[in-house]
Amino acid sequence: MAEIAQRDRTRAPLRAGAKGSGGLARRFHLYANSQGGFATLLILPALTVIFAVVFFPLIYSIWLSFAEVDLLDTSGPSLDFLGVTLPLYKFVGLANYRELAGDPLYWDALWRTVYFVAAFVIEATVIGLAMALVLNTEFFGRPLLRAALLIPWSMSRVVVGLLWLGMLSSDFGALNAVMHRLGLIDGYIAFFKNGFSALNTLVLVYVWNQAPFATVLFLAGLQSIPKDLYAAAEVDGAGFWRKLWHVTLPSLRPMMFLVLVLSTVNGFLMLDLIFVMTFGGPGNDTTTVSWLGYRTAFSFFQFGPGTAILFTLTLMCVVLTVVYQRLILAKFQAE
Amino acid sequence: MSDGSVYRTTRREFIRSAGLATLGVAAGGLSLPSLARAAPKIALVGWTFRPDMVQAYIDMFNQKYAEDVDYSTLPWPTFHPTLEQRFFAGDIVDVMYCTHNNRQRWFERGMIRNLEDLEGFEEIKSAMLPAALSSLTSKDGKHVIALPYYSAYFIMMYNDPMLKQAGFEKPGAGWDEIIEQCVKLKKDGISEYPMLPNWNPTQTGTNPQFLSDCFAEGVALFDDANKLQADQDGVAHVMERWQKMYELELVTPEIFTQASSTDTHRMMFTGKYAFHSNHCNYLQDTATDEKQSQLAGKKARITPYPGKTGDTYAWTDSYVLNAKTEALDSAWKLMRFLGANLNSDWHVQKEWAISSGVQNPYPSFYEDPAVIASTDTWVDPEILKQQAAKGKVINAFKEAWYPEYDTKVVPIMHDMIRKKATVPDTIKAMTDLYSSLA
Repeated sequence: MAEIAQRDRTRAPLRAGAKGSGGLARRFHLYANSQGGFATLLILPALTVIFAVVFFPLIYSIWLSFAEVDLLDTSGPSLDFLGVTLPLYKFVGLANYRELAGDPLYWDALWRTVYFVAAFVIEATVIGLAMALVLNTEFFGRPLLRAALLIPWSMSRVVVGLLWLGMLSSDFGALNAVMHRLGLIDGYIAFFKNGFSALNTLVLVYVWNQAPFATVLFLAGLQSIPKDLYAAAEVDGAGFWRKLWHVTLPSLRPMMFLVLVLSTVNGFLMLDLIFVMTFGGPGNDTTTVSWLGYRTAFSFFQFGPGTAILFTLTLMCVVLTVVYQRLILAKFQAE
Repeated sequence: MSDGSVYRTTRREFIRSAGLATLGVAAGGLSLPSLARAAPKIALVGWTFRPDMVQAYIDMFNQKYAEDVDYSTLPWPTFHPTLEQRFFAGDIVDVMYCTHNNRQRWFERGMIRNLEDLEGFEEIKSAMLPAALSSLTSKDGKHVIALPYYSAYFIMMYNDPMLKQAGFEKPGAGWDEIIEQCVKLKKDGISEYPMLPNWNPTQTGTNPQFLSDCFAEGVALFDDANKLQADQDGVAHVMERWQKMYELELVTPEIFTQASSTDTHRMMFTGKYAFHSNHCNYLQDTATDEKQSQLAGKKARITPYPGKTGDTYAWTDSYVLNAKTEALDSAWKLMRFLGANLNSDWHVQKEWAISSGVQNPYPSFYEDPAVIASTDTWVDPEILKQQAAKGKVINAFKEAWYPEYDTKVVPIMHDMIRKKATVPDTIKAMTDLYSSLA
């Protein structure tokens, strides 16, 4: 009741002052002195920053995907804000998306991306879970191993690419040298020889880089499972696999959802390893949708079609997130 | 916080402080540009190649000419898009590096200016090779829009000790003999992949290599009107030879995924390859870099490029002048220092040649005793000079469609080499690509 009375006291002079001279200033003054107004003022800088760095670029890039963009053509309409000119370019509707739908390169890249993402998500999830299960048991040196596990994930992906490029090189690669000395291979293997081998090599390197993150998430999930559940299962005579199936995995559903969503998004957007390791080749054999979008925008300077290509990725990520939510999380919440 | 007066006072103070801070920042922001205008700097942006050397040139320029150059670099892959965006956002970079296939685009859109009305230009023009001058000229032939950063052409390098080990005193005189030598090197187990062509997937790799091999056969891939002429016997002949070299496993399959021409030439460092074609600028490294190259100590040598005519593809990358520069005199002076002879001794061009083996389009440079003496320590200067004279330029790069063609043709060529497409199908695909863009 006191709050309502306070709000009424604030509104009355606000309405009265609206008609007189300096009404706007008075309204602002009163609003700024109200509790809600003061709170708004406090969060306004943060909101401004979030709008400037998140929402505005998002909205502008959506606009670009429907526009014919020429970076150097500033003759069209534009927005001027704080001395920065923002060209609006020519609106072309769905033309960029239509062009995309008729481009066989895009469809080839899309199927390749789907393969890459599927292979990556499955491998990263399974390996991440396996490593988490190992690291959740007590053994000597566990803290050290847990810390070491984060190294691949914490490395810059450009460094990861260069590192593995050196290890896999058929000229001087350590991996080839070791396998050769162990008598496992006669001659050095060219890992990027053809599309199948190159794409799967990229998957493995990316799994090496990203699986530790899945491990960390699964490890956090494992530690939140009550030990009583395992004790009860053991009383019922459950072995390792039955405990895994009936206790661990159901309890890990929220974390599984998180891992799948993050891995899927990361898989769709992976670009840096391609840039460093294959440049989309040989031929177009490792050209994924993200690489095609990057190349279209930054090699051909076609920012309209480039952003259109990349927004199809965004759409796929959103759709898959909903699917995961329905398949994994919704069932968990229902239970 | 229950006491309203305390709460209000704090709020007022906060608003007052925030207002003052905002005013302060705004005032500071307004005053900075005016301060900068009082003592203008010349902004120079290059891609990241030997920034230590460039900084040394800049230091000398600043000292000798009492100027203030602000030098920075951008990574190569995003260099041109970044500068375009900075230009469109109103940022003026007075002097910029620019590759040959971006110059015309920048000029047409008013980002860079022509140079012929500037002091001392006629002298520079008369000192330059006509082909290079043509390369630096706008598509309509009316304006010179850049000064040379460097000129380059493709060369054929060989691994001298490896050939001798196989019993060859010198490289084969033509492609057939060279391929025979490679086959023997492979058969004898001396080299798994004796041939290292620059088939990397970037704009500096496969396509310029193809232009070179076509020129060497006496075929121009683009005519005088910059139209693609892929349907020629010489073009098909080059493609068939590339397929044969790959089919015989003379070329490593990993060549298709090398990140750059620099990475490709570093493969030659390993000493595992017998022949290597690449930009002439990489030769010095390979022949002298004792820390990295197994071919240091002049074990890497050059031979005239094989083919009917032995011509190769040449190009000139450049320094360009921002059309909106506010320090025109100083910026032009800097350009002349970097890309010409402001110091009266070709200081920058000579330093590049001596320390990095980088070539330029000024013929007198090849007569310079210091340059000759330096070149002689890593290669036969006479062969280098002869090959330079056989460098041929194309003008197609001045067309708006060229960068896209240049990128999209690479997978087509790679599929052809790997026999995923036949030679006639490849020629058709190239022609279709050209037709869809031009």
